[in-house]
Amino acid sequence: MTRNALLTLLTLTLTTTAAAQDAQTVRLGFFPNLTHAPALVGLERGTFQKALGKVKLDAKEFVSGTTLTEAFAAGQIDIAYVGPGPAINAAGRGMPVQFLAGASEAGAVLVARKDSGIKSYKDLAGKIIAVPSLGNTQDISLRHILNENSLKSKTDGGNVTITPVAPVDVLAAFAAKRVDATLVPEPWGAALEAQGHKVIGTEKTVWRDGKYPTTVVIVNTKFAQANPQLVAAFLKAHSEAVAFINKSPVGAQTAVNAQLLKLTGAKLDPRVLQRAFARTRFTTSLDLAALTEYAKLNVEAGYARSAPDLAPFIRK
Amino acid sequence: MTALSPDIQPTRAARGPGRWQTLVTQLVGLLVILGAWWLITDVLKLYPPYVFPGPKAVWTEISYGLWGTGPQDGKLLSAIGGSLRRVLTGYVIAVLLGTAVGLLMGAWRPLRTTLGAYLTGIQSVPSIAFVPFAILFLGLNERAVLFVVILEGFIPVALAVSGALLNVPPALRVAGRTLGASSLSLIVRVLLPASVPSILTGLRTAWSFAWRALVGGELLIAGAASLGEQLEVGRNTANVALVLATIIIIGVIGGLFDSLLRAAEGRVRRDYGLEVPQ
Repeated sequence: MTRNALLTLLTLTLTTTAAAQDAQTVRLGFFPNLTHAPALVGLERGTFQKALGKVKLDAKEFVSGTTLTEAFAAGQIDIAYVGPGPAINAAGRGMPVQFLAGASEAGAVLVARKDSGIKSYKDLAGKIIAVPSLGNTQDISLRHILNENSLKSKTDGGNVTITPVAPVDVLAAFAAKRVDATLVPEPWGAALEAQGHKVIGTEKTVWRDGKYPTTVVIVNTKFAQANPQLVAAFLKAHSEAVAFINKSPVGAQTAVNAQLLKLTGAKLDPRVLQRAFARTRFTTSLDLAALTEYAKLNVEAGYARSAPDLAPFIRK
Repeated sequence: MTALSPDIQPTRAARGPGRWQTLVTQLVGLLVILGAWWLITDVLKLYPPYVFPGPKAVWTEISYGLWGTGPQDGKLLSAIGGSLRRVLTGYVIAVLLGTAVGLLMGAWRPLRTTLGAYLTGIQSVPSIAFVPFAILFLGLNERAVLFVVILEGFIPVALAVSGALLNVPPALRVAGRTLGASSLSLIVRVLLPASVPSILTGLRTAWSFAWRALVGGELLIAGAASLGEQLEVGRNTANVALVLATIIIIGVIGGLFDSLLRAAEGRVRRDYGLEVPQ
């Protein structure tokens, strides 16, 4: 018994040592949002696992970029689907992060509760607005929208209350009238719309006519240096997933819904999903100009004192 | 009480170092801690700065946050303002409420044996456990934070007041009665003044409970300038230096108020003859 335990321990130690050269698992982080559809589709259809071969895929879902960045900083995640906000913050703080590819663009909408009296951005004055988490991509976008409309958050001396609510909980928060509006990634915007709430900011009016990244794929730089083949294989699978979404949206929607059901225990109305899909674009390309502008908005929002030069962080 | 008993209260010489000596020792201790911190982070670089930043990075956050003049600076200062306003409001309400409940418990035995026991139970629940309920009950707003602060703050006051009333020497009661005090004036003019030292201890406990409850509540109910929100922002933007800066500020403010209350307590205890004057 003791000898067996010792042997197991020895084997484990050897395996871990081997992992330093060549990883045995790829730990993937993502959120159960439509803007992370390439991750959801890739998981549901087994695209990633097929590309990785014998190397095990260990997928972990997160609620927001915050917790994901923490896991990334702690070295518990190798590759992640994440919003540009947390990714830029991670890069700015010197975390070993590399931008691998784009995943989705636009796909976030500003929805107001039907009885909140909000009809336009101007009406956000004095209201409570939910974002997935403070400092995340939607929060940065929201602060920019407020800025453009001469409004300010309460913490900056204005009268708009920005409060973090996980997208999964936003429907309940609307029902309980705890918040007046929210800037959320899809499919939560479309889900709120289906309940009669009003979209007052479409994916195009949020920023840059909708030409902005909402989700990007990042990798731990050390992991990328140690496992170039694995990263290339993952990237190939990611491209396949994106191509599949663009080629057969209906099949992609079915796959996304199946994964969402597994992850959140709830299935979305196909019409809701379809509407959410229509407001999101899926791509593998990284728009450096848009990312750079995002880094400036991050400074404008007060989350960083300077915008990092992102070019060195982008995978060549 | 052991007032004036020489075996418990040490003499001036046996009491140890004076105020200045204590201050110097504390200062040296602080420098040792800062030096060790600097050695671990900036010299030996045992941890990457995004996991454990050095004292210089934390100082940068403190200086920008407190007296920086850029458009996004000064946030820690307004956070301190917001948090102090909130905790003082909650604390004053908690003290008034706690005194009232404590008096009732001290005066009426059935209330003491029921409510008193429950309050001790509630006190053992961490304040953060009440936050989800407060949010559902009162909404995602300041009232929810105040609710938690008041709940945490009033219990030690109530227990201290009721306990203090019970510990008033019976001789004082008898004397008051003999001199013709009614029930109310016995409480107001004899029992309450006699329990001031114990009540002050309760007030000090209530402060530390309220302060901790406040930060816990603010962490989950962001939206207004608060130290809890600064912690959350630091966490969300991978800014560990800001997190540490906020922790230091929370500790310093908590400690400052505690020593103020401690000084008041010590003074009252001396005035009451419970301690040898220094």
